[in-house]
Amino acid sequence: MFKWMLTCALVFASLNVQALEDPWLALQKTAYAARELNYQGVFVYQNGDQTRSVQITHMNNAGRELTRNVMLDGQPREVFSEGSDIVIFNAKDNKVVIEKRRGQNLFPAMLPTNLEALKFSYTAKFGPIERIADREAQIIDLVPNDHFRYSYRVWSDVEFGLLVRMTLMNHKGQAIEQIGFTQLSMLNTHDLNWFQPKIDLSKQYVMEDEAPITHVTNSWVVANLPPGYRKVDHIEHIAPGKNTIVNQVIFSDGIASVSLFIEPIKKGVRPKMGHKVVGSTNICANVVDGYQVIVVGEVPASTVQQIARAVSFNKQTTANK
Amino acid sequence: MKEQLSALIDGEFDTNNADHLLIVAKSDGELRHAWNAYHMIGDVMRGDQVFHNKVTNRIMDALEQEPTVIAPAAVNAVQTKAKQSIFKKTAFWSVAASVTAVMFVGLILLQQQKVDQNIIEPVEFAEGIPSEYLTAHQTYAPNGAAYYIQNVSYTEPR
Repeated sequence: MFKWMLTCALVFASLNVQALEDPWLALQKTAYAARELNYQGVFVYQNGDQTRSVQITHMNNAGRELTRNVMLDGQPREVFSEGSDIVIFNAKDNKVVIEKRRGQNLFPAMLPTNLEALKFSYTAKFGPIERIADREAQIIDLVPNDHFRYSYRVWSDVEFGLLVRMTLMNHKGQAIEQIGFTQLSMLNTHDLNWFQPKIDLSKQYVMEDEAPITHVTNSWVVANLPPGYRKVDHIEHIAPGKNTIVNQVIFSDGIASVSLFIEPIKKGVRPKMGHKVVGSTNICANVVDGYQVIVVGEVPASTVQQIARAVSFNKQTTANK
Repeated sequence: MKEQLSALIDGEFDTNNADHLLIVAKSDGELRHAWNAYHMIGDVMRGDQVFHNKVTNRIMDALEQEPTVIAPAAVNAVQTKAKQSIFKKTAFWSVAASVTAVMFVGLILLQQQKVDQNIIEPVEFAEGIPSEYLTAHQTYAPNGAAYYIQNVSYTEPR
């Protein structure tokens, strides 16, 4: 264990020297540090008027990543992840609902390990060093090359390279979403006793009804995607309480992501049109070919609007279905 | 001890040496909770159905009523090693069978509990309907800090 940590430390130390020259290398180091280090702490997430504190424990056990997140505010909730499998224990009244999710880039592993896609759309720049959660942290800015995405400010721990804070900023430089440690310590143990939920025997544990998800590759095309964005997934699932199949196409520029929802407009339901902002998220509704189109993303309004307008239905592929 | 429990559940532990663990697992206290917790995480990770708490208790009851497992003293001391291992395998499978049986009961219970979902009345866009789209976006999009922190669950009945 010690040997391994020493090796890591040496690798990071050697990266650190180069990092002074290239902010992309510093970001690369930051992307890996969150996945490879063992740490415990409390972070705060802020979006719009919502603030949540979360206690995190992360361990890389011989290449297997284990994380436990415990929500400290609001309804009790625990999130466990092992590799890309995520299990959520969600307390509701006298029940605990267990939800399963697939992998995401959870804090602090918010940067992708492959940064190539980002280099097309962003410029990385070093900022000053600031103190975050009692750690010295190097600021690295991801400044967008166009107006189709926001900028990201990353605070990277000078010693370990761990991402200790990240802020999403709009064109005016205002922070619209923030997530960062308020307390952080490195773990020097192999003990996995923490990787278990707090079980309340007076409560009933139930599995969430899993909505079937199908990965699909047809029917809908976006002719004029904003530059830098590419389709990363296309799934079909049933919206709860709707009994209709919703198509969800996911686009990403490497860090920002946009979801496009398409569903048939039901009889007697007035289609929705317009624009809405929820915290850092822009939402745009449009109607295409008798379908309701809704685009959602933590991106500028112009990006969701362009996607909502550029959707078209490829009739040939569905006719063969 | 907890590590051994975990290994036992994952099938990595030699069941010949597992008697003491099963005894502990059926007792009250911290280790029993750990037993439940490991089972639950393991089941969920493997995609198995998770038992109701009640059902978990019934499994523990079933274990209690399983004399061959919890009373190794019943095994004749003069038995050969080979015989012993077969015997214990049989005991192991009988526990497995009772677990399976209880799981079916659990499934039936789960299905009875399903509440009919009513059709939700349409809401105008301006009134803030997009919470479900926002949640679906945060749930399935590759990047997102918010989805496990937010209040609204995707499947929460409204």
